[in-house]
Amino acid sequence: MPSTTHRIARFAETVLPTASVVLFLVGWETFVRLGEIAPIYLPAPSSIAVYLVRMVADGSMIINLGITLLRIVVGFLLASVFGVLLGVLMGMSRILARVADIWIAALYPLPKISLIPLLIIWLGTGEAYKILISAVTAFFPVVISTYAGIQRADRGLIKAAKDLGANARQIQFKVVIPSAVPSIFAGLQLGMGVTIILVVAAEMIGGSSEGGMGYLLINAGQVMETEKVFASLIVLAVMGAVIIKLQQWADRKLAPWASLEHGR
Amino acid sequence: MDVVVDNVSQVWAGRHGTSVVALDHFSHRFRSRRFTCLLGPSGCGKSTLIQIVGGLEQATSGSIRIVDPERPGAGRPLGVDSVMMWQNLNLFPWRSVIDNVAFGLEMAGVRRAERYDKARALIASVGLRGFELHLPGQLSGGMRQRVALARALIMERPILLMDEPFAALDAQTKIVMQEELLRIFDATRKTVLFVTHAIEEAILLGDEVVVMTARPGRIKEIIAVDLPRPRSLEMVNSPQFGALFDRVFHLIREEVMKTMEQQAAAASA
Repeated sequence: MPSTTHRIARFAETVLPTASVVLFLVGWETFVRLGEIAPIYLPAPSSIAVYLVRMVADGSMIINLGITLLRIVVGFLLASVFGVLLGVLMGMSRILARVADIWIAALYPLPKISLIPLLIIWLGTGEAYKILISAVTAFFPVVISTYAGIQRADRGLIKAAKDLGANARQIQFKVVIPSAVPSIFAGLQLGMGVTIILVVAAEMIGGSSEGGMGYLLINAGQVMETEKVFASLIVLAVMGAVIIKLQQWADRKLAPWASLEHGR
Repeated sequence: MDVVVDNVSQVWAGRHGTSVVALDHFSHRFRSRRFTCLLGPSGCGKSTLIQIVGGLEQATSGSIRIVDPERPGAGRPLGVDSVMMWQNLNLFPWRSVIDNVAFGLEMAGVRRAERYDKARALIASVGLRGFELHLPGQLSGGMRQRVALARALIMERPILLMDEPFAALDAQTKIVMQEELLRIFDATRKTVLFVTHAIEEAILLGDEVVVMTARPGRIKEIIAVDLPRPRSLEMVNSPQFGALFDRVFHLIREEVMKTMEQQAAAASA
């Protein structure tokens, strides 16, 4: 029979997370109203909500969110394709691995955001620069994880495949690459995280009028429309969470075995 | 197919320029259609030996020939007549049961419909009908053993190499799998090389038990097991079985003691 303390614990576990958010918002609202804080510094949640609804209704939020999402998708796809490809090729060719390793060791620790001035000089502040900076940044975790996954391929599985008559090419494509999939997915998740960061940062620094969530944020900030800043931040946070959850869901759908224990 | 092992030694390079002799001039003729158990303490090189026989490891010296007793002249390349069942199974975790079982046929370029037909029949014969589309990670230990067994049997190779395949199973599942293997052996009469460190298992399954010494691995004694076939687990209680067990037990005990002394000496050095 579950004890009373146990039931209270269960109740607290399900209710407290939501309650904490509600309590936080109520506290914030009360603080702003009673303290008569100027909305420029800290707008009340209720007025942020009004702005959010207004921005969705007039389409500005939807359009800018769409532009940002498009850039994220393109940047991420570029990084994924080239990162996975190079990682796999490095796993197949020792010479290539040695050569690529030097470049990765030199470029990986460099904060990619420091390349922004150079890229703006070369490419201007258009789409090419925003997509390239995010793709280059995401490329590194993808290629490193892919190569690590290929290298860590289970020797036992390779031997078993050989015993069952697989040739070198079959071992590569039917054993080594599939066994690297969990590691590749981990790299893609890291890559997605930095793509989101770099796209929004590039939109803020580009300063042109080509839209995007970063542009929306910086513009609202410059004219001190703090409600719009908060509304944009909320949308960005939700967008990030949804993308990451979607990716995790897709990973589980594509490779359900990766999350099973005792796979062999 | 006879497996003729002639003077095979395996030396591993250790750290600091030392070397470890895993197998020391091992010679034996494993006879066609016979079930031979290789029994010895851990590290006596028995797993290494069957991997060499399977063409999956290179011996440091010595030779192995696979000989068809009906055509004694022609030697055959290693690996093409044998298939291995591994201690840790080595199932491909991303492949369903049917794709694991059909792996060898897929590599050989057999059409999908044909290899699935064969795989389905084998999966049914090891009692896994209905689990064709499950992943290995969704199965119990005993079921995964059956998948590994079916994956080996589908190759229809005359020599079956088994590297302690039941070591990780619980006692009840192990008994069931041993009975399954006895049934399959009676039906197919393959040449079986079965590595184990369980005395009872070696006697129950084998026509012959090759008892090996502790490192370096040599043959200590070869015990013929003349229990009739088909075998069953009830034979474990027969006086004949008991006598064989005692004999093997004393041989193995000597070797285990020797290993422990070696380890103690190595630890104090």
